[in-house]
Amino acid sequence: MSEANADQYFVPHKARWPIVGSIGLTATVVGAAQLLNSETAMTPWLMYLGLLIMVVMMFGWFGEVIRESEEGLYNTAVDTSFRMGMVWFIFSEVMFFAGFFGALFYARTLSVPWLGGEGTGLSTNEFLWNGYEGVWPTNGPADLGGRFETLDPYHLPLINTMLLLTSSITITIAHHAMRVNNRKQILIWLTATVLLGAVFMYFQVTEYIEAYHLNLTLESGIYGATFFMLTGFHGMHVTLGAIMIAIITIRVAKGHFKPENHFGFEAVAWYWHFVDVVWLGLFIFVYIL
Amino acid sequence: MKYLIVVALLFVIFSLGQALFYLVKGKGQSQNTVKFLTVRIIASVVLFLFILLAMHLGWIQPHGTRMVPVG
Repeated sequence: MSEANADQYFVPHKARWPIVGSIGLTATVVGAAQLLNSETAMTPWLMYLGLLIMVVMMFGWFGEVIRESEEGLYNTAVDTSFRMGMVWFIFSEVMFFAGFFGALFYARTLSVPWLGGEGTGLSTNEFLWNGYEGVWPTNGPADLGGRFETLDPYHLPLINTMLLLTSSITITIAHHAMRVNNRKQILIWLTATVLLGAVFMYFQVTEYIEAYHLNLTLESGIYGATFFMLTGFHGMHVTLGAIMIAIITIRVAKGHFKPENHFGFEAVAWYWHFVDVVWLGLFIFVYIL
Repeated sequence: MKYLIVVALLFVIFSLGQALFYLVKGKGQSQNTVKFLTVRIIASVVLFLFILLAMHLGWIQPHGTRMVPVG
């Protein structure tokens, strides 16, 4: 098939990437589970192998989709499928972060005050955790991980917020440039976005090093767990988003996308805004309020 | 003051949601996606500047400033 048939939904003849992706995903998750539950020397390798298979799968599969798209094999029905896929992907992302933000809110506003004797927790505090005040931030009444200090929000978190907000401004400028097909502007502002994302990640790593010096670690009870899970998974999303924008930048340089047909670009731009809004929520609820 | 910040954040999330709606429904022809994303970033910058001002004037007290927890 070389020409798009407006009535026919394009189905590739040999779809080998789904099974490769399934094998990669299984190896990654089984490897990660083994890593957390046993101390066998070989265990991390299964996870790394799984991640490697996933990377190969993504490059291979996405590359094929890009080629098929550029060859004009996709009709409007396929376009709708891509958009619905985006909705389900974002739904899973929202649920994912809702879980971690939910854990933070539950601990801060309910369980920690109960342990401190609020509400119906008076006897819990009196008989189990006598003397525990239940003030956030806390590593809990058992003092898990020992005394720690939290990070100063006026320094790295503030700089990182400014970096991500600026990167959203640059990608929005690129987005407007895409609508009028100004290739040079798109390339400049997309590159700026990727660079800002990379600088954000550099500061995020610096912040983790500083946190460990303050004895704020993943072992630091409920605060350490929620802090590193939220910021860590957010950092992974920034890394993924920056890689996606870098790929889109290369595609723009190759002449892909049109002002009236650029779903790949628009979905990645939206995703970057989403990651930025998650950070704004993190900045407000983890560092400020 | 806290509630004002939360309401502003909800507006930012709402604009982002609107942009997603038009991304899916607009089929690439609609200008609304980029329009709502622009609203989203402007609102976010305004919110951020407001937080800076509120911290500077002492309206809100960030909990993270060199605080050693009891425990």
